Amino acid sequence: MPPSQSEDQEKLLEEASKEVKVQAFEMKRCLDKSKLMDGLKHASNMLGELRTSSLSPKSYYELYMQVCDEVRHLEQFLLDEYQKGHKVADLYELVQYAGNIVPRLYLLITVGMVYIKSSQHSRKDIMKDLVEMCRGVQHPLRGLFLRNYLLQCTRNILPDAEQEEDPEVKTGTVEDSIDFFLLNFAEMNKLWVRMQHQGHTRDHEKREKERRELKILVGTNLVRLSQLETIDGNRYKKLVLSEILEQLVSCKDYIAQEYLMECIIQVFPDEFHLDTLDLFLKACADLNPTVNVKNIIIALIDRLAVFATRDDSAGIPDDLKLFDIFSEQIAVIIQARPDMPPEDIVALQVSLINLALKCYPDRVDFIDKVLETTTEIFHKLGLEQNLYPHSFFCLRQSKQSNPVAKELIRLLKIPLDSYNNILVLLKLKHFGMVVEYLDYEGRRSMGKLIISNALDHKTQIPLQEQVDQILLLVAPLVQDQVDQPAEDDPEEFAEDQSLMGRFLNLLEAESADQQYLILTAARKHFGNGGNKRIKYTLPPLVFSALRLAYRYKELSEEDDKWEKKCQKIFTFCHQTISALIKAELAELPLRLFLQGAIAAGQIGFENHETVAYEFMSQAFSLYEDEISDSKAQLAAITLIICTFEKTSCFSEENHEPLRTQCALAASKLLKKPDQCQGVGVCSHLFWSGRTTESEGEEIRVGERVVECLKKALRIAKQCMDPTVQVQLFVEILNRYLYFFEKGNDKITVQILNQLLEKIREDLPNLEDNEETEQITKHFQNTLEHLRMKQEAGESDGPSYEGLTL
Amino acid sequence: MGDREDPNAADTRRLNTTKQSIEDAYAAPANFLEIDIANPETHGIAKKRYTDYEVRMKTNLPVFKLKESSVRRRYSDFEWLRSELERDSKIVVPPLPGKAFKRQLPFRGDDGIFEDEFIEERRQGLEAFLNRIAGHPLAQNERCLHMFLQEQDIDKNYTPGKIRNT
Repeated sequence: MPPSQSEDQEKLLEEASKEVKVQAFEMKRCLDKSKLMDGLKHASNMLGELRTSSLSPKSYYELYMQVCDEVRHLEQFLLDEYQKGHKVADLYELVQYAGNIVPRLYLLITVGMVYIKSSQHSRKDIMKDLVEMCRGVQHPLRGLFLRNYLLQCTRNILPDAEQEEDPEVKTGTVEDSIDFFLLNFAEMNKLWVRMQHQGHTRDHEKREKERRELKILVGTNLVRLSQLETIDGNRYKKLVLSEILEQLVSCKDYIAQEYLMECIIQVFPDEFHLDTLDLFLKACADLNPTVNVKNIIIALIDRLAVFATRDDSAGIPDDLKLFDIFSEQIAVIIQARPDMPPEDIVALQVSLINLALKCYPDRVDFIDKVLETTTEIFHKLGLEQNLYPHSFFCLRQSKQSNPVAKELIRLLKIPLDSYNNILVLLKLKHFGMVVEYLDYEGRRSMGKLIISNALDHKTQIPLQEQVDQILLLVAPLVQDQVDQPAEDDPEEFAEDQSLMGRFLNLLEAESADQQYLILTAARKHFGNGGNKRIKYTLPPLVFSALRLAYRYKELSEEDDKWEKKCQKIFTFCHQTISALIKAELAELPLRLFLQGAIAAGQIGFENHETVAYEFMSQAFSLYEDEISDSKAQLAAITLIICTFEKTSCFSEENHEPLRTQCALAASKLLKKPDQCQGVGVCSHLFWSGRTTESEGEEIRVGERVVECLKKALRIAKQCMDPTVQVQLFVEILNRYLYFFEKGNDKITVQILNQLLEKIREDLPNLEDNEETEQITKHFQNTLEHLRMKQEAGESDGPSYEGLTL
Repeated sequence: MGDREDPNAADTRRLNTTKQSIEDAYAAPANFLEIDIANPETHGIAKKRYTDYEVRMKTNLPVFKLKESSVRRRYSDFEWLRSELERDSKIVVPPLPGKAFKRQLPFRGDDGIFEDEFIEERRQGLEAFLNRIAGHPLAQNERCLHMFLQEQDIDKNYTPGKIRNT
């Protein structure tokens, strides 16, 4: 009868268990009265409950545990009798008269163990006898538990010595123990595998589940073998492993193979594994095609990698070519399994890389070899590189990430994360080739990983070739790809590009000349990035170029061509900024031009004035042609004026038109308040502006300053909004005061008084609100300042005498 | 055993048996036979109404021509098979599930023998019956069983006889 369903199981187990209790009670009662024969009869009845076929493995296990507990009383009784000198002669033969084979063998094992424990006579024969006799039970479940009982009973009492202690009494050697366990293992494995054929095929999966629940019973044999101390590497290789592997390969059962291979790896010591790699890996190639060999090999590699790096281990012997062996055997395994899923193939390569990194951290060539093998395998699988639209390894295939792409990224990430130096990564010739197998999304995320790694570890890139290599490697971040989606997520895109912008600062050569090569190379790559990308990538490039120009100036004594080189750099900057204009940007290039003008002026190479003038005028034309928003206009013209104010490289011939242009532009702003502020700012050009003629000194044309301020005042008066008007008055007052204190004699106390009077008149008429409050505060502060100045007297600055406060 | 001489050495000596080959040890069983009865369908109307079942068989026994087969059979076919075996084979043929005469009486409130419950009950009975017969080595030789299991139509005018294991 097949095992019944769960509700029946409980009932069946309960009945059997009740019977066991009854018989155990009777057995113990008889034994207490020293009625051995009756005791054995009840023991046999009790053990007879294990003959059932109706219990599921789980219930059978519970019953078995209960019975085992009770049998221990019998064993203890027999041992005590023996100790007391009551010889239990012929018991071994006697129990063999039990009518049923299951109780008979349980009793025989129990008695056999009593014999072995009380005197080691004939240990060897009894062992052999028992392990052979158990063949009498061929029902898988019953047989497995019977043999498990045998294993349980023989714990710690089997021979574990090289030599027979006393050949007369046949105690046996370690080789007898090996034979014992191997035979028991083979038989249990057979029963376990056979279990799969029991019952209806529709219960296939249920049976697989039940078998997995029983796996430990079979694995225990291997554990026991590993506990024999006298087994050395040689015995392991010749006697133990070869036999286990033969059984495993022959059984063709994937559950047994997966579990027991893993078992071998875990129970036997690393030194043994190192010595038998070939044997073990060859067996892996011969396993059932449905076995997940990947997991087995990864388990082995992980174990050995830990061993290699453990402090107390001897490490991997020098003469053992661990990497080569694994590399070759994995290739054989892949070859032998044409149906192996590509993600598993990649996973194997991942473990191989892990091995190489852990055991041979210096061997970059090993890593490259794995990558090469990976490309070769892909090639054989008929996968083409660069066929992006049909790319096989789509990371976002139907929104679910493809397992191969995932594994592939894992593979590529390992060297990246372990070297933490993308320059070492570049030494891997096949790295890029593997990347090419990824789809756009995959390559993009890989690129991000690479760049982030460089940023996190501040890896400086010192050579132009390296820059070329890296930018090709992360191409999806640098320029458009054939296979990229029509719409990128704008946030992600901005994030990517900012990353690239930051990365540009890592391009730092040792020599200035090399740095120039790097910049031109980078410019070429990023120049192809399209309008959306260059606004992120070209500005840092311009700044980097300007830094280089300063560097050349510092080298001016060593490098006699430095001026020419600086000119080239500014041409480079000009072109680069112009590229941004072509991308229909205005404010960004305007600012970059201004930055360039300052730099040119400060560096002062041959022809710098022309360059600075050109940059200034470019900024002006951008201002005039491209910037139309009034706020942006005010900001831009303020920037232009301030930048210009900072320069000192222009001769009067160039300074004059630029200054006039500034004043003109400021007065032509659309809104009156803007005009007023712009003109106000302009006033500084006529004071602290510097020309070559003034030799670095401020030009200080007082009249023109006053003209500007008067004009500003005039414009302010035209403003309709009284609040704005007063605000502007206060601002202008401050400018007057600034120049007054700087010593502009065209400004008199009288002018100041007029302005102060005007403000005092208008201020109280303003509406009472927050703005007014601010203006009042500004004015009060100004007055406070003046009061302090007055009190301080004439010692510093001009006299405020006559000022009406 | 123990510290005494071993006078029974000859009695307890092991017999030398040939070792089981590793292929045998792990071979799939050579007597695989599985018969399922499934998919009952009721056809026809009134007096001609009847239910038939799909009889599916899988085996690796060499005596069967087909390793997999599927035919449709009704209750009367089973009755035919049973009577043929009773007459020709030497085995004790197990009974069929009952004919359920009560259910065939008129004026019932339900569908009688065409109730789903009853059909399922009968299906289980027929499946048990067929597995017991087909598993019997002597029945496996009967031509009628082969025809019943593996041929689409039963030729009731066949020549009874044995099938020899080739």
